[in-house]
Amino acid sequence: MIVGTRKPFAEIRDLVSGHRKILVVGCGTCVAVCLAGGEKEVAILASQLRIALRLVGQDVQVDEAMAERQCDTEFLVDLGSKKDLGDYDIVVSMACGAGVQLFSDVYDQNLVVPALNTVFIGVAEGPGVWTEKCRSCGDCVLGETGGICPVTMCAKGLLNGPCGGARHGKCEVNPELDCAWVKIYDRMSARDNLKSIEKTLPPRKNSRQTHPSVSIHEAYKRRFDKDEKIV
Amino acid sequence: MKRSFKEALTSGKFLVTAEVASPKGIDADSLGPIVGNLKDTVDAIGVGDNPRGVMSMSPWAACHLISESGGEPIMHLTCRDRNRMALQSDLLAAAFLGIRNVLCVTGDHVRFGDHIDAMPVYDLDSVQLIETVRSLTGGRDMTGHELAGAPEFCVGAVANPESDPVGPQLFKFKKKLASGIDFVLTHPVFNPDNLAPFVSEAKEKGVKVIAGVSLLVAEEIPGYKDGSHPGLFVPDEVLADIEGAGIEKGIEIAARLIGTIKDKGLCDGVHISAPGHEEKIIDIIKSSGI
Repeated sequence: MIVGTRKPFAEIRDLVSGHRKILVVGCGTCVAVCLAGGEKEVAILASQLRIALRLVGQDVQVDEAMAERQCDTEFLVDLGSKKDLGDYDIVVSMACGAGVQLFSDVYDQNLVVPALNTVFIGVAEGPGVWTEKCRSCGDCVLGETGGICPVTMCAKGLLNGPCGGARHGKCEVNPELDCAWVKIYDRMSARDNLKSIEKTLPPRKNSRQTHPSVSIHEAYKRRFDKDEKIV
Repeated sequence: MKRSFKEALTSGKFLVTAEVASPKGIDADSLGPIVGNLKDTVDAIGVGDNPRGVMSMSPWAACHLISESGGEPIMHLTCRDRNRMALQSDLLAAAFLGIRNVLCVTGDHVRFGDHIDAMPVYDLDSVQLIETVRSLTGGRDMTGHELAGAPEFCVGAVANPESDPVGPQLFKFKKKLASGIDFVLTHPVFNPDNLAPFVSEAKEKGVKVIAGVSLLVAEEIPGYKDGSHPGLFVPDEVLADIEGAGIEKGIEIAARLIGTIKDKGLCDGVHISAPGHEEKIIDIIKSSGI
């Protein structure tokens, strides 16, 4: 899932300061799971904004709303059918960066600002702890590295083994973290399958990571892919 | 003209190389005397490439200065600061300037240096960089396009025999050997017996291993301990030896280590570094008696 963290309150306050009608919109998927932009976080941020802005004499109305997924047009349209979005001076989106942008695209008359910093694609390690696992590089090598991603888990993204800086099996950049290549080596060694990682992996295909990227499902290509579109 | 490093590698003698820093700025006056002192004593002089992530003059320029001064330079080239195009461009530039030796390194992470917000590139890793150099020497760039004039390089790689655990390090080392290298410069060693598995693998391929020996100084002890010198793993007993001691103690320890490596025939030579104190390298060599 996509992991986000809330921006410092002062940054959000400065973004909305001067606006009278404010709508804080949460997102019910990834950022709700990582406790950054769900219903509860919307309520907390809205309360904080009401208190902070009224304390400095601003007469504000801060409302709260949820979209099941801000990264999906149909849920944003659904939100618009329930709330008059044109009534608000500013929308504070508590979605990831993708959700904030789609909100701005669907309601391009609205001023939409982010309340989160989108930090990574990762997994829940336990209550309240998420770790990065995927850089969405578009050229997955997990099949050749024992299911551990060196592009993400190695601070240098090295494809063919560790650098010389790993210390007691820990990363030279952050001694709290395991060296990805020590983990890969240990896993394959335990499986008695070191041979499978002996092959030198070629340089990454960065051309698969052009930005902004588009992915069209095979079944929808005739509808959306300009090269295959039926006129 | 000084004997090439490639010739020295096949000479059978105990090899001695030194490492100097490229100037931070365009004033290279301090480098001249150090090179002057070393050029006739050592087989080659390596120039770090923004070592520890500290920005300085591109190593090909400093290598050119060494060549012009009659020395034999080894250009260190890290994957940290350049993408695959810039790496190849600099290799061609270096060859054009007459630089014949290149050491392919991953590069310390930018977080240790003076530009901590720089983008760490690592478009290639060190194994892929070695293969890229081999492609250039074969007359084509890494995507197969023909070159108008192919460079010639004596290609080196790095290994860290002090790595813990050593298995993954050896695993990568074998990939480097398979990629076609001529020599290996190791990270600084303190337990020279740790060289054995690397030397044994390299010997099978006819590749020379040159052990890193670094001058340690008391004022850097906190950094040696906290990992801010990446890849430098100094044992506690050595740290205790230099604690409170002057630089002469560090010179003595380095010289003794060189003597041990040579006398026991643990590898094919030594690569001496003395970050911030390069003028002492000649004293280490003299003191070691090699």
